[in-house]
Amino acid sequence: MPPLELLLQQALNGVMLGVMYALIAVGFTLFFGVLDVIHFSHGDVFMLGAFAGLSALLGLAAVGLTGGLLALPLAFAGSMLATGLVGVAAERVCVKPLARSSPLMTLLATLSLGLVLREAVLIFYPRGADPKPFPRLLPQGGFEVGGVVVRWENLVILGIGFAAMVAVDLVINRTRMGAAIRAVAQDPEAAQMMGVNLDRTVDATFFLGSALAAVAGILSGLYYSEIHFIMGITGGVIGFSAAAIGGFGNVYGAIIGGLLFGLLQTMAAALIPRGSEFRDVVAFAVVMLFLIVRPSGILGEKSVERV
Amino acid sequence: MRLLDVQGLGVRFGGLVALDRVDLGVDEGETLGMIGPNGSGKTTFFNALTGLYAPAAGSVRFAGRDLVGLEAHRIARLGIARTFQASRLCLGLSVFDNILIGMHARRTTSLLDAVVRRGRLLAEMREGVERAAHLLALFNRELPGRGFERVGQLPQIDRRRVEICRALASRPRLLLLDEPSAGMNPEETAELMRDLGVVREELPGLSMIVIEHDMFVIEGVSQRVVALNYGRKIAEGPFAVVAAHAEVREAYLGRESARA
Amino acid sequence: MLLVWLAEAVVFVLIVAGILAERPPALAATGAAIVALGLLLRTAPALRRRLGEAFAARRGAALAGGAVLALALPFALRASPYWTFVAALALLYVTIGQGLNLQIGSAGLINLAGAAFAGLGGYAVGLLTVGAGWPSWAAVLVAPWVAVVVGALLFVPILKTRGHYLALVTIAFVFIFNILMNNLEFTGGPQGIKNIPTLRILGYAFTTKPVVLGVELPAHANFYYAALVTAWLATVILRRLHDAWLGLGLNTLRDDEIAARCAGVSITRGKLLAFSLGNFFIGLGGALYAVMVGFVSPPDFDFGYSLIMLSVIIIGGVDSIPGVVLGASLLLPLPERFRFLHEYRLLLYGLVILVMLLYRPQGLWPAGIRRYR
Repeated sequence: MPPLELLLQQALNGVMLGVMYALIAVGFTLFFGVLDVIHFSHGDVFMLGAFAGLSALLGLAAVGLTGGLLALPLAFAGSMLATGLVGVAAERVCVKPLARSSPLMTLLATLSLGLVLREAVLIFYPRGADPKPFPRLLPQGGFEVGGVVVRWENLVILGIGFAAMVAVDLVINRTRMGAAIRAVAQDPEAAQMMGVNLDRTVDATFFLGSALAAVAGILSGLYYSEIHFIMGITGGVIGFSAAAIGGFGNVYGAIIGGLLFGLLQTMAAALIPRGSEFRDVVAFAVVMLFLIVRPSGILGEKSVERV
Repeated sequence: MRLLDVQGLGVRFGGLVALDRVDLGVDEGETLGMIGPNGSGKTTFFNALTGLYAPAAGSVRFAGRDLVGLEAHRIARLGIARTFQASRLCLGLSVFDNILIGMHARRTTSLLDAVVRRGRLLAEMREGVERAAHLLALFNRELPGRGFERVGQLPQIDRRRVEICRALASRPRLLLLDEPSAGMNPEETAELMRDLGVVREELPGLSMIVIEHDMFVIEGVSQRVVALNYGRKIAEGPFAVVAAHAEVREAYLGRESARA
Repeated sequence: MLLVWLAEAVVFVLIVAGILAERPPALAATGAAIVALGLLLRTAPALRRRLGEAFAARRGAALAGGAVLALALPFALRASPYWTFVAALALLYVTIGQGLNLQIGSAGLINLAGAAFAGLGGYAVGLLTVGAGWPSWAAVLVAPWVAVVVGALLFVPILKTRGHYLALVTIAFVFIFNILMNNLEFTGGPQGIKNIPTLRILGYAFTTKPVVLGVELPAHANFYYAALVTAWLATVILRRLHDAWLGLGLNTLRDDEIAARCAGVSITRGKLLAFSLGNFFIGLGGALYAVMVGFVSPPDFDFGYSLIMLSVIIIGGVDSIPGVVLGASLLLPLPERFRFLHEYRLLLYGLVILVMLLYRPQGLWPAGIRRYR
C-alpha cells in the first residue's frame, strides 16, 4: 500500500486530469442534448485545439511575445475561436445533414471526420508523426502541504479548468443562448415555436463545445508538456465515457464523470503494479464494466423512446 | 370462452400511475373496443399486455397462460399480435418482407437449411410470400402486385394495411389494433371499416381489441366497449351504454357537457 | 449471354492493364480507355439498360464468367508476385467484410473492433503454431473460434444497451487488445510472433511456386486461391443466410427493435448470432493473414484497420453482399497502385466515407430486394 502522501499526490493529479476530461465530456453531452448525436470526432477537435494553441504560441514567440501572462491568454483565445469555428464547420458539413437519418450514419460520418482531422494533422503539420513539445509557460516551483507537493502550474491548470466550467455553467444557465440550448435539448419543436432559431442554436452549441475542447487541449499540453496527433483518440474515448457515465444530456453529470475518470486513472496508476503502462486499459475496462452494469449513467440519460 | 383475462393490472412510471387496477376480459371471437381521452392509458395497456412494459401489479392470463414477466417475443409467439399508433414498418424492406417477419416465429426451416438445403428454405419463403399476397389481396387487389416494392413507397393507408397483414401473418388468436384510423379522412375510414369486416369474415375465431378515437369505427366494429380515463376503467358494456355513461361523457367533453 | 461475357472481359482487361501498365504509353492508353468507357456508359442510357437487362437475365452466365476471370487473375498477374499478394489480401478483406457487414449492415450492430477480432484470429494462429507446435491448417480452422468466444464474452453483458454504447465498448476493446498485445510477454510484445509456418495441405507447402496448366505462378498465388475459396464460401453462406429468415429477422431488429419483438423475434438471440457469426469470418480472415504473411504484430491490427474494414462496407453498400466484394476490390488495390498516395491513404479513406455517406449512403452497389428465387 503506497504511502498516503503519494495517494494524495495522485488524487491531485487525478483532479487535474479530471478537469480536462470534464471539459471534453461537456461537449459530448451538449451535442447529444441538442441534436441527439454522438459526435465521435470531438476527441480530435480536442487535439486540434491543442495544436492550434501550440501554433499560436509558436507564432507569438516568433514575434517576440514569450511571456506566459501575455502569450497564454492570446493562445487560448485564438485556439478557442479557431477550434470553435472548426466545430461549427464539422457540424454543418457532416453532422446536421445526417442527423435525420439513422444514428449509424452519423456515427460513421463523425468517426470518419475524426480520421480525416487526425490524418490531416499527421500529414500537414511539420513532422506531424512526432510528439510536439509544448512550451512551459506556467510559473515553476511550488510548495509543500503535509508531504504533498503542490506546484504552481497545477494550481493554474486547475484554476483555468474550473473557470471554464463555471463559465459554461453561466452561459448555459444565465444567458439567452444558454436558455435556447436548454430549450432545444428538451424539445426542438416547441423551442422553435417559441421563436428559437434552431440552426443558430445548434451552431452555438457546437462552437461552445469545441471551444471548451480547445481549452482542454491547451491544458493537456501544459500538463504533459507535449502534444501528439493521436491524443484525440484517448481523449475522445474518455470524454465520451465520462459523458456516458454522467448520463448523456446532463452537463453536471459530464463534469462529475470527467473528474471520476481522472481520479480513476491516477489511482489505478498508483495502486496497480505496472499501473502506468496499463493505465488506459484500466480506464477502458472500467468504462466497459460501468456500461454493462448501468447503461443509463449515474445521473440518468435524457431521452426515452415512446412506443 | 374467455381468451384474455386481465385482473387488477397496474403500471407505473416512477411516481406516475399509468394504469390503475384495470380489470377486463375478452372472449374468443369477440371484438372489444377501447376508448378514452389521450393519456388515459390505452396504449400503455397494449404495451403491458405485449410485454413491453413490466406491470407493477395485477395478472394477465391468456389462453390459460400467465403472461406477466414474459418477454415480448414469447408473448407474440403465444398468439398476440399488434399494430402501432405510428406505423412501425421497415421502410427500406419490401412489402412482402415486412409481412413475412410476422411468420418468423412459426418457421420450420433452420439456418442450416438456408445454406445447405436451399430448396427447402426457398419453398418455405415462397409459401410465405403467397400467404402474404393473399392477406394483402383481402384489403386491396392491387397491393400484391406491389409486393416487391419498398414499403416506404406506399401511401399511408396501404402501409396501415401492411402492418395489419404483418400482425395477421403470425396467425394470432388476439389482434391488438392501436388507432387504426388515425390520420384518415372519412373515405379512408370507411375503407378501414370494410377492411376490418373482411378480417372478421376471414378469421371468425379471431379476438380483437381496437383502440380508437373515432366513435363511428368503434360502434361499427365492437361488440363490447371499455372506456379508460386516467388509467382506470370507468365504463364497460355495449357501445350505446358506454357512450351515454356520465363519466365517459365528462372525460371527453368536460363537466358542463356531461350534465347536459 | 455473349454481351455479359464481353462486358466482363473488357472490365477484366482494363483492370489488369491498369494494374500492370508501367511505361507512359501503356499508362496513357489504359487511362484513356477507362475514361472513354466511363463516358460511354454515362452518356448512353440505352447501353446501360441493355447491359443491366443482360446481366439480370443471365445471372448464371455472369457468375460463371466472373468465376473464370477470378481464377485466371493470377495468370495475368504472374509477372508480379507483389500484385498477386495484393489480390489475395483484397480477397481476405472480402471474407472479413462479409462478416462485418452481417454485424453492421444486416443487424445494425456497430462493431468498431474488427481489427481486434481479426487480430484474435491471427494471434491465435501464431500462438498455436509457434507456441504449441500445431500444423498451420489446424490452427487456421480453430483460430476463428477464439474470435467468436471472446466476442461473445464481450457482447453478452451489453446486449441490451443502445447502439452507441456498443460502439464505445468495441472502440475500447480494440485499444485494450492493442495495448495488451504490445505489453504481454507471451504474445511477443511489440515484435509480435514471427516465423509462423506456412500452410501445408496434404504435404503441399504454400511457399512452393505452383504450376497450373503448364504455367508457373508466384508462390503467393497459392494464397490467392485459398483466399478466393474462403471469400467465395463466406459470400455464398452469408448471402444465403441474408435471403432467409435470419437476414429478415436481423434487418427488422435493426430497423425497429420494438416491432421485431412484437413480431416474435428474439433480440438477444439475433444479435448474439449476428455478432458471433460475423466474428467467425473476421477471425478467419485474420488467421489466413497470419499464415500468408508469416508473422503478426500489434500494429497489424490497430484501430486504423477497423476503419478500413468499415470503409469497404460503406463504399460497397451497407447490408449489400455484392457491395462488400466491390468495396474490397476497389479499396485495397487502389492505394497500392497509386503509391504516391500511400501517405494519404487513411485521409482519403476517411474523405471517401464522408462523401459516400453524404451523397450516396446506400453505397455503390446497394442492397437489393429479396426475391427468394
